[in-house]
Amino acid sequence: MTHFLQLLVSGVSLGAVYALLALGFVVIFRATEVVNFAHPALLMVGAYFTARFRTVDKLPFAVAVLLGIGVAMLLAFVVQRFLVQRMSGRSVITVSIMTIGVDVLVQTEITRRLGVDILPIGDPWQNGAVHVLGLTVPQTRIVALVLSVALLAAFFAWFRFSDWGVAMRASAENPGTAALMGIRRSRVAALAWIIAGALAALAGLALTTFPAPGLEPATSAIALRAFPAAIVGGLDSTAGAVVGGVLIGVAEVLAQGYASELAFLGLGFHTVMPYLVMVVVLLARPTGLFGTRELHRV
Amino acid sequence: MTVALAVANVTVRFAGLTALDQVSFTVEHRAIHAVIGPNGAGKSTLFNVVSGAYRPTSGTVSLGTVELTRMPPHRIANLGVARTFQNLALLPSASVEENCLLGRHHLTRTGFVTGGLRLPSARREERRHRGRVAEIAGFLGLGEHLATPVGQLSYGDQKRVEIARALCVEPALLLLDEPAAGMNASETAHLAHLIRDIRDALGIPILLVEHDMGLVMGIADRVTVLDFGRRIADGTPAQVRRNPEVLRAYLGDDLVEA
Amino acid sequence: MSEVQELTRAAVEARPTRGGPARRYRAFGWLALAAAVVVAPFYVDAFWLQIGLFGLAAAVAALGLGLLLGQAGQLSLGHSFFVAVGAYGYTVLAAEPEPGQLGASLPPVVAAGAAVLLAGVAGLAFSPISARLRGIYLGIASLGLVFGGQHVLFNAEPLTGGFNGRNVPDFTLLGLSFGDLRGEALFVLGVPFGREEKLWYLGAAVTAAAYLFFRNVARSRPGRALRAVRDNEVAAEILGVDVARYKAYAFGVSSMYAGAGGVLLALAFSRIVPETFGVGLAVEYLAMVVIGGLGSAGGVVLGAFFVSSLPTVLERYVPALPGGIPPAVAAKFAYGAAILLILVKTPRSQRSRP
Repeated sequence: MTHFLQLLVSGVSLGAVYALLALGFVVIFRATEVVNFAHPALLMVGAYFTARFRTVDKLPFAVAVLLGIGVAMLLAFVVQRFLVQRMSGRSVITVSIMTIGVDVLVQTEITRRLGVDILPIGDPWQNGAVHVLGLTVPQTRIVALVLSVALLAAFFAWFRFSDWGVAMRASAENPGTAALMGIRRSRVAALAWIIAGALAALAGLALTTFPAPGLEPATSAIALRAFPAAIVGGLDSTAGAVVGGVLIGVAEVLAQGYASELAFLGLGFHTVMPYLVMVVVLLARPTGLFGTRELHRV
Repeated sequence: MTVALAVANVTVRFAGLTALDQVSFTVEHRAIHAVIGPNGAGKSTLFNVVSGAYRPTSGTVSLGTVELTRMPPHRIANLGVARTFQNLALLPSASVEENCLLGRHHLTRTGFVTGGLRLPSARREERRHRGRVAEIAGFLGLGEHLATPVGQLSYGDQKRVEIARALCVEPALLLLDEPAAGMNASETAHLAHLIRDIRDALGIPILLVEHDMGLVMGIADRVTVLDFGRRIADGTPAQVRRNPEVLRAYLGDDLVEA
Repeated sequence: MSEVQELTRAAVEARPTRGGPARRYRAFGWLALAAAVVVAPFYVDAFWLQIGLFGLAAAVAALGLGLLLGQAGQLSLGHSFFVAVGAYGYTVLAAEPEPGQLGASLPPVVAAGAAVLLAGVAGLAFSPISARLRGIYLGIASLGLVFGGQHVLFNAEPLTGGFNGRNVPDFTLLGLSFGDLRGEALFVLGVPFGREEKLWYLGAAVTAAAYLFFRNVARSRPGRALRAVRDNEVAAEILGVDVARYKAYAFGVSSMYAGAGGVLLALAFSRIVPETFGVGLAVEYLAMVVIGGLGSAGGVVLGAFFVSSLPTVLERYVPALPGGIPPAVAAKFAYGAAILLILVKTPRSQRSRP
């Protein structure tokens, strides 16, 4: 039983990280109608620069984190302003494929710099763990969970109550009227991407601290698993992103935890689990659990 | 003798909105039947139900003796229901001929194997149907533009391509969705002639949704009026024009004298 | 009525005639290309032939994606999965069984054909998903194919040899082996014909057939239906196109292309490992199609040669790249940038037609 609870806690904390990534997707999708395949690149950039500023430039952790997030935000802004915006009016698929090009470019560069090294992030919690109710939870995971939850809560509060948040929702819902009311579409779009960049960078931190050894090229494969999380929740639902993220995280960790029982499914099955869950959900709900069902307007 | 099209108690509800509420009317053979009403009255929704894009919450639509209501749209097209679209659903980079050939899809058989291997049967079928497309395009004055990409044509010409494509379906029922939108008076007059010519030449019923009262009153044999999803009048143009309900819907309460 | 007749006659006469000087130039161009293909093994060394083999394999697979994405507008990131089905399908079906490794010992021609059909069936099996999902949801769902597929490839050792991979049985046709036979050498016009030379002709023939089939489909009724699905799915349905069925066809046919490309790829490699058939390869095919102009068959073939041969060519001919970048990395930069720039710059109306 403790084994199961342990896995559940781990799953939820991983799920919270996926939720951060999925939320970034959804925000971008709702504001600019693009599926950002360069999201893993944003994550890698944030994590890479944080690690570099910490280990190479020896900056204090908090400063390195802020700078790393800043770089990710800047990249997100550049992509939106100079590429996505230039393609406004083109189909969703076309612009999304373009982001694949961005992803290839950025990830190739990061991977080139990493080489075969694993870059440690240099966080202050290292491998410290907390023992509660017979469960052992790494400190970093707790920090990640607390941070994620706090961020998600703050985001939703901001989205709901602040002027900018309302502007964003209005713009997504009814761009024409929103524009007439003075909400600058381009500003909302840029803001959406910048926020997503920040969320991705933070998720990257959570994925590269203990129990992960650090940042390595394989980290981006983990980031890819946030796609199913966003899809499961529904590409245009912020609540769905959170639910989807947690669902995928729990499913993955459970599959990993019970790997010996599931040995017949092959080694490393837990990496496929998110995609399996995604396909199952999509068969029942073609637009995800909370996504808007499309209405056929002709 | 059955009517050509029977719409019976059709109700469409989505997202808490009732777009159509128990709407019923019939279209006679060879009739030009217009559906009018203020904006948001449910006219486009009605078209989408008849052509199969929407499934009504309740009610039925029948073409002759065949019930269309639960059919997938492509099977409805197979039965000869052709429509034009308010926002022009043409393929802009394709030529007029290519766009019209799409209307022939349900009349042709060439598949991946026969088409991919370019078998003689495929080539013959293609030739035959290109010929028919040329005829129909000529009928609509588009003969010189067969090879022109549709995106390069004027708006008026594009509208005619929409109609040509619908005719290429060899329709048993033609649905025209706001055909006069964006036209000036003389273009509308030409359109009126064209619609009558089509009805006379093909002998089919034509159902049209329209805002232009001149066009409607001029050529329609019968008019159905919708307001807020409900049918508020149905009759000849003369009858509808005098109907106080209709006047109220269009002009508002204050302006109507009893 | 006579006015209508006149208009009709004018319409028929105005139809574009396919003759004249342009046609002659095109025919001459094709002839020259055919001659170059036939003559190539006699003049070109093994290095370039090997590049050519990989290029042809990529071209066939990429044409499939061109059909699916360029013509039907369905984004699939799972193309490498169907290529894997073709590659491993051929390998397993044509191989001799050994302890710990399955093999069906079928004649290579039969194995190749069966592998292609198998890939097609896999594509059709995906159709319940493709019918229900729209646009970008479909693209992401197809990612699941790649990851799921690779997982199976790494784990199903009796079939795939697992992580270390498997040797690919030589192709034989009518008793002629397309592999290198020890001690024997085939001479044609004084030139030794080994594995690469023979596979070149096989690959070229398959690519030519694939290209022609693509063009014929695109120019006829099924192509029109696919493009209607691409440009306005709802309107296409209302005009009589059974959209769900055409999406299934699109996946089925493109998967067969992928399967055929997979067989050629397996023969070109002569040993296949699961590592190859991942997301990276799927993105490469996407790059080929984008670089080739999305809709045009010829463009896709050129894009395929460009993307597949760039790393090898760079490695051989550009001794030192700026910044000490390895050639494989430089190639990735190149096609990543290409995808980006081409898509940002090309307005819709300028995209080439088949």
